[in-house]
Amino acid sequence: MHEISLVRNIFNTLESEFSKAELGNLSAIDLRVGKLSNVEPILMQNAFEAVTTAEDKYQQVRLNIEVVPIEIYCSACDARSTIEDYKFACAACGQPNNNVVKGTELLIHRVHFG
Amino acid sequence: MEKAQKSTKAARGTVTCDNTTMHLLKANDFVAESIRRKMAEQGILLLNITSSAGSGKTTLLQETAKRIGHKVNMKILVGDLETERDADRLRAVGVDALQIVTGGICHLEAQMVWQAMDNLDLNGVELLIVENVGNLVCPASFDLGEDYRVTLIATTEGDDKPKKYPRMFLTSELMLVSKTDLLPYLPFSVDAVVADARDINPNIGVLQVSSTQDIGIDEWCNWLLEKVKEKQSSTTHKKNESHVFSDPR
Repeated sequence: MHEISLVRNIFNTLESEFSKAELGNLSAIDLRVGKLSNVEPILMQNAFEAVTTAEDKYQQVRLNIEVVPIEIYCSACDARSTIEDYKFACAACGQPNNNVVKGTELLIHRVHFG
Repeated sequence: MEKAQKSTKAARGTVTCDNTTMHLLKANDFVAESIRRKMAEQGILLLNITSSAGSGKTTLLQETAKRIGHKVNMKILVGDLETERDADRLRAVGVDALQIVTGGICHLEAQMVWQAMDNLDLNGVELLIVENVGNLVCPASFDLGEDYRVTLIATTEGDDKPKKYPRMFLTSELMLVSKTDLLPYLPFSVDAVVADARDINPNIGVLQVSSTQDIGIDEWCNWLLEKVKEKQSSTTHKKNESHVFSDPR
């Protein structure tokens, strides 16, 4: 989708949370990207490289992307199911269910310094 | 997050972040909530209309304005990468429309809607429709503070769209199958598209429409009027409630 602007969001978010000195020591960023977030990891990596090269900053930083599968929660069964083929139904009772509890995230999960 | 106090204590090693502070669309979601509050206060129903490019959003809204423009005070914000053309088309049928030119951005963000609202007189408005940029991917991720998302899928597209763009259909209240007058000429199965959409979102509503041949437009307009009424009654209800709570006795 709009990976370049997301990469800028990553840096804006970090810059509002950490000081310049701290970020000078930044070594890696772990992102969590849900399968429903419409973000393609390879495009995100490319965009990350493009932005850090073009803006000549954070070039030492590694971007790790963890893709989070889609999970729904069925309250009748008190069960979570992983959705693999975009068929949103509870694996236990088979009832249609789109109560998504995982898979939409798009966030910085961890940052590594030093 | 583990309070990364700027400047005082230097972050070292690995810092695990809180899910909310480091959410990349946090700024958008914050503005979207502001819009939602503003709309709730004024009792305005806000709809976010999405689809691929060319599935007939503007034509449908033209017909909608012609049909119920005299019954409900409506305004339209319309997003496109370039040009004023869609807003011109909507103004031509007498509806107050404002174009948001995104300048190459593939979706509308809450901030754009918020700013556009400044240039729109919302006094007495009951229904505000945002016609999003034609794209089923990016707009799906951006909350605009809407009450409902309505997604069009034209019979001239593939009937496999819901599975290809699941998030949009997952978050839509209503799917409008458009250009149904062309069904006899196309290999498009309404049953297949409805089944696919309901695999993703069992609760999604479905209406079949043709804006040019006047099929299903009344049903669509009735849906709109119903939702406008619901929004207004929930606002009046809340107003009464808050009056009771603020009563000093």
